[in-house]
Amino acid sequence: MKSLLQVKDLKVYYKSIWGDFKSVDGVTFEVYENEVFGIAGESGCGKSSLVDGILRLVAPPGYIAGGEVIFEGVDLLKIPEKELRRIRWTKLAYIPQGAMNSLNPVIRIEEQIIDAILDHKQMSKRKSRQLALSALKSVGLPVEVMQMYPHELSGGMKQRVIIAMAIALKPRLVVADEPTTALDVVIQRGILQLLRRLKEDYGMTVIMVSHDMAAHAQVADRIAIMYAGKIVEIGFVYDVFEDPLHPYTKGLISAIPSIGRKYVKGIPGLPPSPLNWPAGCRFHPRCTYATDVCRSVEPPMREVSPGHFVSCHLYGEKA
Amino acid sequence: MKFKVEASGLRDKLSSFLATAKGSKRFVTGLMLLFVIAGLAVFEPVINAVRLGGRKPVEIGLFERGLPPSLEHPLGTDMLGRDVLALVLVGLRYSLMVGMMAGGIATIIGMVIGISSSYLGGRIDVVLNSITNGILILPTLPLLMAIVAYVRMDMLLVSLTLAVFTWPWSARTIRAQVLSLKERPYIMLAKVTNLSDLEIVFKELLVGLIPYIVASFSFSVIGTIMAETALRMIGLGPAEIPTLGFLLGWAMTYGALAQGFYTLVLAPAVLLVLIFVALNLVNTGLDEVFNPRLKKITGL
Amino acid sequence: MVSYAIVLFISFTVVFFSLRLIPGDPVMRFVDLMTRRYSYEMAPEIYKNVIEEYKKMFGLDKDIFTQYLCFLRELAKLNLGPSFLNFPAPAQVLILRALPWSIGLLGIATVIAWIIGVVAGTLLAWFRGSKLDHFLFTVAICMSQVPYYLMALFLVMLFAYIIPLFPPRGAYSPTLVPELSISFIWSVLRHGTLPALSLILISAFGWMVSTRSVAITIVGEDYLRFATAKGLKKRRIHNRYVFRNALLPQVTGLAMSLGFIMNGFYLVEWIFSYPGVGTLLSLALGLLDYNTIQGVILLSMFAVLTANLLIDLLYPLIDPRCLYEV
Repeated sequence: MKSLLQVKDLKVYYKSIWGDFKSVDGVTFEVYENEVFGIAGESGCGKSSLVDGILRLVAPPGYIAGGEVIFEGVDLLKIPEKELRRIRWTKLAYIPQGAMNSLNPVIRIEEQIIDAILDHKQMSKRKSRQLALSALKSVGLPVEVMQMYPHELSGGMKQRVIIAMAIALKPRLVVADEPTTALDVVIQRGILQLLRRLKEDYGMTVIMVSHDMAAHAQVADRIAIMYAGKIVEIGFVYDVFEDPLHPYTKGLISAIPSIGRKYVKGIPGLPPSPLNWPAGCRFHPRCTYATDVCRSVEPPMREVSPGHFVSCHLYGEKA
Repeated sequence: MKFKVEASGLRDKLSSFLATAKGSKRFVTGLMLLFVIAGLAVFEPVINAVRLGGRKPVEIGLFERGLPPSLEHPLGTDMLGRDVLALVLVGLRYSLMVGMMAGGIATIIGMVIGISSSYLGGRIDVVLNSITNGILILPTLPLLMAIVAYVRMDMLLVSLTLAVFTWPWSARTIRAQVLSLKERPYIMLAKVTNLSDLEIVFKELLVGLIPYIVASFSFSVIGTIMAETALRMIGLGPAEIPTLGFLLGWAMTYGALAQGFYTLVLAPAVLLVLIFVALNLVNTGLDEVFNPRLKKITGL
Repeated sequence: MVSYAIVLFISFTVVFFSLRLIPGDPVMRFVDLMTRRYSYEMAPEIYKNVIEEYKKMFGLDKDIFTQYLCFLRELAKLNLGPSFLNFPAPAQVLILRALPWSIGLLGIATVIAWIIGVVAGTLLAWFRGSKLDHFLFTVAICMSQVPYYLMALFLVMLFAYIIPLFPPRGAYSPTLVPELSISFIWSVLRHGTLPALSLILISAFGWMVSTRSVAITIVGEDYLRFATAKGLKKRRIHNRYVFRNALLPQVTGLAMSLGFIMNGFYLVEWIFSYPGVGTLLSLALGLLDYNTIQGVILLSMFAVLTANLLIDLLYPLIDPRCLYEV
């Protein structure tokens, strides 16, 4: 499998009068072509900041404190703005969290889809309109939507519009940040199926960031679990769900309500503060298996079984 | 991801305020400017007594007419032989007095109306709010002028009249803030206990309103001084209260510009502008201190 | 629309009653003023007769409610009663004569200032943090707070007296006759420059400050972030996303600030002796010309309320969200 995106030791910090919030503190992973890669974790673990970092959308008081984001051989963090703008949308698209607020309230949908097209490719207005129409169709929206304004659409429809915009130029990589939050379950299913189709029918690569483990289970091929600014486990979805290695992952999965299970087990304790990550393994204050080494030494990422990596002292140098 | 630092108690709030306040260049500059101006006004009687040897600055013919600026008369003399600097200092003092009195009254009225309107809500709010907005939108200066033209006034009455036309600004600001504070948990908590409404207002609400009250006060002072100056320029208002506006109006009516008495017009005008600028800097500074997010965004 | 009519009605009523309730008798005041100014004496019976006659003419001999009804009736006919300034010319004639000058100057200056301010404001927000932004913003904050008439004073002093570039008073050269000729128009433009500048220089900065704040919040909005993520051209983002959205509150702001602008503008007119409604008001105040004063007050309120109404009606054209709710 060819690698499309490599994130190496990415750090996204936020300045404040109390110090730096280290939301993303050294994240490394790889995304392969034509897969759905999920990034999971609790709210506040730094997922959205990670997305900002990858797409270079970090705004003050946040800043990128280090790392590389290599997309098709180019480090997105280092190239000049002009080049980045050209790559954006044509190769690398973004579906933000909260589509409700991502649409310009005073411009019609049609114009909003077309302006992205026209700013990147030279074509006649008519052709761009056809492109927009076909994009809308592929997400299952009727033609009438083109002439509407954002406030006339429902939440689910707005989300689909955003997705339509994202795929209009057939990018290679689509990053979706919490695509199903704030939507009801029925719509959620539709969106998730849509995302799946992006990979299967259009050959795109999708990175899906979500705290909803069930969504990942449905849609993702591989998944990375994020906690306290770092990735603690990566692997194929089936492996990770069937055999979760990291104690945190275990907790996350057992927290998914499912028919048949009597009760839902949560993870005790509260997430730590990005101002002051715990020493050693960041999960140790909440971990039932914590030992002395966990409290002092940060565990490296090890491949425990083919394609299944984890950062935990439980899986140290042992047979 | 949010990170709250709870500052409990007035003392902590005050010290944290001072700490952040020092960081705002605008606030500090404005405050210093204010102190200088206020100092001048407060010490005016002393300064003038020393310079003029105990004679009143408005006395005609103390000095030679139309002297250009010199060491002895830094702003020259006017066509009636009065030292311009002395006149201007007197004007400053009276302007500030009227401004603070009228501004104070306006702020108090605005507070009362603003708080009652938003706190009591319902029909009272609708009525009071409409009145407030109505006065804000309409050009009230002509009406103010008409009233001052027809009625003989003293300082108190002038201040009152000015205040009546200036309170909507503070009422609106305070109402907005009370509306947002009203839904906060600690207010709802207070309501559940046996505290009467008045007590709630005084004990809980007012503390959160203090920055807005201060801001309203400076706005009101600016507004009243502006209105007062406008009145004066046309010649309205009591002549016994020689404010800076009075000085300006007098100068204009007696053709100071045509005769070349530029300092007589420049000095009061510049002082007025300085007062406004100082108050505004303090206001903007206050805003930045209490809205640190704004500071980040405006990129100081 | 209905609320507009109600507010209009209420404000007229309030003005009427507050003016009538002023202690003292305006006719007597006026006559006293005249006797003082022109130093003549009247025998007491003649004095009483004069007052009575005037009162009848002004309809002030009836009780206040009848006066009110008369007032309304005459108002409907657009008759404001005789003025003192140019007795017996009715007040509305005076006002109508001065009106075009005021509307022209005030209207044009306000619009120009608004346009400059809003465009500059969005640009400033776009370049926020830069040295230019910091500098202009500080300048704008200081300048925008100077009252219009003070700026007028500065301008008059500088450019009419010290460096005589522009004429210091009037709307056109007194040697010319109002006609559609080049020299007349040129004269009007020259005379109007300083008054207009007094307004524009300050108002534009004011709009710049407020638009910049609005635009900065817009730049922080999600859809702006998304627009950047879409890789849109910078100019497109600025025009379509920042500017279009910043316009909306500024238009409402314009409507709301008209009253305030008018207030300051009267004084500017007076300083330049510009033959508009403002100077008329000042003269009327000096002479205690009851009907003219009343007329100007009513007219100002009417103008502001109407402008507000117009903007309210036209607003849905630029904000599609409003159209939906209407």
